[in-house]
Amino acid sequence: MTSRTAREPRRFGVPSLSAMAGYLPLVIFVCLLGYLSVVSSNFLTFPTFDLILRQAVPTTIVCLGLSIVVMAGGDDVVSGGIDLSIPAVAVLAAAIIADQLTNHAASLAVALPLALMAALLVGAVNAMLVVRIGMTPLLATLSTSVAVVGIVKVVTSSRRINVDHPAVVWLRDGTIGGVSSGVVLTLVFFGVFFFIAHRTRWGLNLQAVGGSRDAAEVSGIPVSRFVALSFIIAGFAGGLAAMFILARGSGSTPGTEENLLLEMVLATFLGSAFSPRRVVTLWGAILGAVLVSALSIGFKSIGVNVFWTGCIKGALILIVVASASLSAKFDRRKTAI
Amino acid sequence: MSDRAEHKDRGIRNVFVHYGFLIIIASFFAFFAFYTGSFLNASNLLNIVEGSSILLILALGMTLVVALGGIDLSVGIAFDMGAAFAIVALKEYDAAWYVAVLIGIGGGALVGLLNAFLIVRLSVSPFLATLGTFFIGSSIQRIFTNGGGPISYRRAPQEYRNLATGDLFGVPMEIVIAAVILIAYFIFLERSIFGKRIHAIGLQKTAARVAGIPVQRYVAIGFIIAAATCAIGGIIGSANLRMFTPLAGFSYLLDAIAAVFIGASMHPRGRPNVLGTLVGVLFLGMVANGLNLMGLDFNTKDALSGLILVAALAISVAQKRLR
Repeated sequence: MTSRTAREPRRFGVPSLSAMAGYLPLVIFVCLLGYLSVVSSNFLTFPTFDLILRQAVPTTIVCLGLSIVVMAGGDDVVSGGIDLSIPAVAVLAAAIIADQLTNHAASLAVALPLALMAALLVGAVNAMLVVRIGMTPLLATLSTSVAVVGIVKVVTSSRRINVDHPAVVWLRDGTIGGVSSGVVLTLVFFGVFFFIAHRTRWGLNLQAVGGSRDAAEVSGIPVSRFVALSFIIAGFAGGLAAMFILARGSGSTPGTEENLLLEMVLATFLGSAFSPRRVVTLWGAILGAVLVSALSIGFKSIGVNVFWTGCIKGALILIVVASASLSAKFDRRKTAI
Repeated sequence: MSDRAEHKDRGIRNVFVHYGFLIIIASFFAFFAFYTGSFLNASNLLNIVEGSSILLILALGMTLVVALGGIDLSVGIAFDMGAAFAIVALKEYDAAWYVAVLIGIGGGALVGLLNAFLIVRLSVSPFLATLGTFFIGSSIQRIFTNGGGPISYRRAPQEYRNLATGDLFGVPMEIVIAAVILIAYFIFLERSIFGKRIHAIGLQKTAARVAGIPVQRYVAIGFIIAAATCAIGGIIGSANLRMFTPLAGFSYLLDAIAAVFIGASMHPRGRPNVLGTLVGVLFLGMVANGLNLMGLDFNTKDALSGLILVAALAISVAQKRLR
């Protein structure tokens, strides 16, 4: 016992094992980015930076939605909050807009509300499955995502639909004050989400629900309503991302959802490595999305085979979550001794 | 509400709670039988069973993992690896058919080994570990096949092809293999001390550890056995087409998960179980077959089967919860 108290102060000087494991993903990311900027001479230039931000736009928006769900449901992936259907919802909304604009010559004022309504509907279905029926979010959103991808096939007949609507072209090429319009709009969305989640009573309650459901229930917070709303917000975020998916690809392409899912999960859980308490935050999500996009573009710029990218990203997800859980394990061991 | 009405209400609820999913299976069966003339033919019913055998094999592997309290999103990768290792062994190394089968199973087991390492050693949650394995495995297949072109081997030995197209006393070989694995899983999971321990771990990990069960070892072995089982499915698939199709296993993932959860909803205590999984697999096989016979367009069929899946899962979970 006495030896333990005597040894205690050293913990402040030497970084503990748990802290080192926790910072591992960040160290790896910094090393990778450093390597990329050394190998590829034009990596650290403004055009590349602009490209990285523009490529990160759809991922960032779906990450905002996922972060809200994780905040409300807690960050345990199996029993806590997760929404795997956001990428599928985003692709569905993109398909509806593309179909309406190109195949039915509808105006954007018709296509956009239609797509947003579809996205909100899927969010509501998820909310019902989780809150009313009692399915685990993982199972519920995995199955709705398959159904939604099936519906996308019906809408698009599994074909690519080109879109050259001025609004989409503006989102792709336009600028606001010298910065790409998509990036500016994403920052606005981020501001709105950040304000709601971190600066309002509603957001505080939302985080309380995710932090400890029982405690929130006892304090009189309507837990189910918050969880349900988080899924509807996630669906809405998917709908918002649709326009930017169309802008990034100049149309809707079948199969976009798979890569978006990979990037969303990677960015959101990478983001939690930035937070001191290792929880999913909106700041973390946006930083994670930008880092993931920087890596994708960096690897492309030094000519890495595109088929390797999935492998590298998959390995990164594993490193991030393994170091987070190892860090928690060392923490527990320290307190247990 | 009067006393009697309440009683009646509870009666309907009781029927739903106990037979809800069976009623749905029966009504789908009746609908397909009524709507399409050829659904009830003996040959078509045999088709359903034969067409479900690969899914059954994967779903059994998934049952084991879910019974352990985990989930395996990489069953498709184990399926693909089984097919890839076996076909490459046959084609490039002229291996005998049974050697190729063993190599295929070993290739699948490697996927399970990676999962087990991540989950047990690095304490990653099964969901994220197998998701990572899924992405890495898909990427490796794309690299290996230069973007996803199939590897075909038309001159595969007849014995290997018989694994899918042959028959034993008139029963298609696929059904025989699936039945053998089904019985093995039934004995292993439902009638042995190992199965009891696996269910104990899935129900209460800490209690199982306190009771002296080597939890980590069981979890590791469970994931490896599940992956090896899925590889058998992949081998049958590759024997059928005489080729390895990259990323073909992904299409089984959600059906396998759904079959396990549908099966769990029929269990008195809502546990994943082998016979329930069999019922779930046959239901999904019946729906796929019926939608095909209705002559729907490919895309509509995909959307409809997705919606039926969501509804089926919702009903089975609701049934389990109301009990």
